[in-house]
Amino acid sequence: MAIACPLDLDTRKLRDEIQSIYSQVARGPSGDFHFHRGPAYAASLLGYDAALLATLPEESTASFAGVANPHRMGPVPEGAVVVDIGCGAGMDLLLAARSVGPRGRAIGIDMTEAMAEKARGAARAAGFDNVEVRLGDAMSLPLEAASADVVISNGVLNLTPDKSVAYGEVFRVLRPGGRFLYGDIVVASELSEKARRDVELWTG
Amino acid sequence: MEVLSSIGFKDVNVAERFDPFRGTSKEGTARKYGVTGVNVFARKP
Repeated sequence: MAIACPLDLDTRKLRDEIQSIYSQVARGPSGDFHFHRGPAYAASLLGYDAALLATLPEESTASFAGVANPHRMGPVPEGAVVVDIGCGAGMDLLLAARSVGPRGRAIGIDMTEAMAEKARGAARAAGFDNVEVRLGDAMSLPLEAASADVVISNGVLNLTPDKSVAYGEVFRVLRPGGRFLYGDIVVASELSEKARRDVELWTG
Repeated sequence: MEVLSSIGFKDVNVAERFDPFRGTSKEGTARKYGVTGVNVFARKP
């Protein structure tokens, strides 16, 4: 599996492209994209509980574009501090907020303002007052060291240009004994140099 | 997975696999490179 992008890949262009695509997903999730979105996809291909998703605000579920289901690795415990890296419109974040309950906290991090605003709105609409959404980047998390019990993420860390930096940030913010439960994509074979330089593939 | 272990995470494992690109325009590319969705577990000691 390729871990880091080519040294000469324009990471600023990559970041701009990611923000552009996911801003479009936030504003118009039913648009033409090369990846699935929404609760029906989440339930049919990723094993989410459709009935549970139906209880969440549509603004949080319609823009969901994860690639796996971190919640299937066990519930986030009541009272815990959970961080969702790349929370998007907040579907996984709100599910985590429900699990931790009023004594816990669910902190979403997203680099796209449009997504962060949707997640904040969805949390307000759902009546969750234990949710906070911060603008930030997986490569430099806006969090104190050893402040989280659980870190989740879904389909986001594959977008970072250097996985070792992003994983190192997760390690920094977790408390000893904390768990990292994340969904991502992996490739079975080494990508060609052409594929590794294709920004569209990185952003998919 | 090796990167997670090298950073210091323990009990690193792929817990489950998914097929998130099924039915998308990128399904062929995903099949070509063996791209799958995964749930990954890791613990900070």
